[in-house]
Amino acid sequence: MADIEILDNGILVATLRGELDNHKANRIRTQISASIFTGQVRAVIWNLEGLGFMDSAGIGLILGRMRDLAPTGGETLILNPSTTMEKIFNFSGLGPNIRHCTVDMAIGEIGGVLHEQ
Amino acid sequence: MNNEMTLSFVAIEENEALARMAMTCFITPLDPTIEEISEFKTIVSEAVTNAIIHGYECDGKSMVTLHAVIEGNKVVMTISDEGAGIFDVDQAMEPMFTTRPFMERSGMGFTIMESFADSLTVESVLGNGTVVKFEKTFSPVTEASRMG
Repeated sequence: MADIEILDNGILVATLRGELDNHKANRIRTQISASIFTGQVRAVIWNLEGLGFMDSAGIGLILGRMRDLAPTGGETLILNPSTTMEKIFNFSGLGPNIRHCTVDMAIGEIGGVLHEQ
Repeated sequence: MNNEMTLSFVAIEENEALARMAMTCFITPLDPTIEEISEFKTIVSEAVTNAIIHGYECDGKSMVTLHAVIEGNKVVMTISDEGAGIFDVDQAMEPMFTTRPFMERSGMGFTIMESFADSLTVESVLGNGTVVKFEKTFSPVTEASRMG
């Protein structure tokens, strides 16, 4: 459902599968927030390539983690959402965070951003 | 093709997935595109989640009822609860408005439903429940578009 990996450079990669609704979002939130509050996480990459469905609960989940990251100025990238998911992100102002690329390319982008700081 | 169905279930979060699955099966004979199915499921999911969380506060005993009619290529569907009702429907339909920010509800449910449906109405009486009614027309996948 959600594979969470924290890389040495402080980037958390969350790979979501199956269906992300209110019920699932509640479980994943606990899992990821715990990692962020350890203070090791400086950026989050949401890989949605294998996600079959998402409703507005996904928006709540991602915006919530962006708030968790806000004190440290952490970056958020959303990778490879479906057409319908992309529409939902655009309604919610998250369009600029979307990338259609591999996880490695996204890590490279964030790595660069963090390096500049 | 014409068809009609009614489905009722108790207000627990697990039934959000049941509602999406049942409704997807119901519209499959219309041969919708992947994107149409996905938009339709999203509307159902938003309305059912609202009924379970806001209407009944996940009480596990009150019933959410789905009713759907297929008329040709069009689905007319209602999602009803007899729960708390909405204090101010116009306000509830504003983007980003939520009564439950601490639950990380984004307040985008009605915006998404309105965008993905051809038409959508919400009738609500405080203390008596809410009925969301929407229509969506599907464009059947033709042999030509299948060959791409």
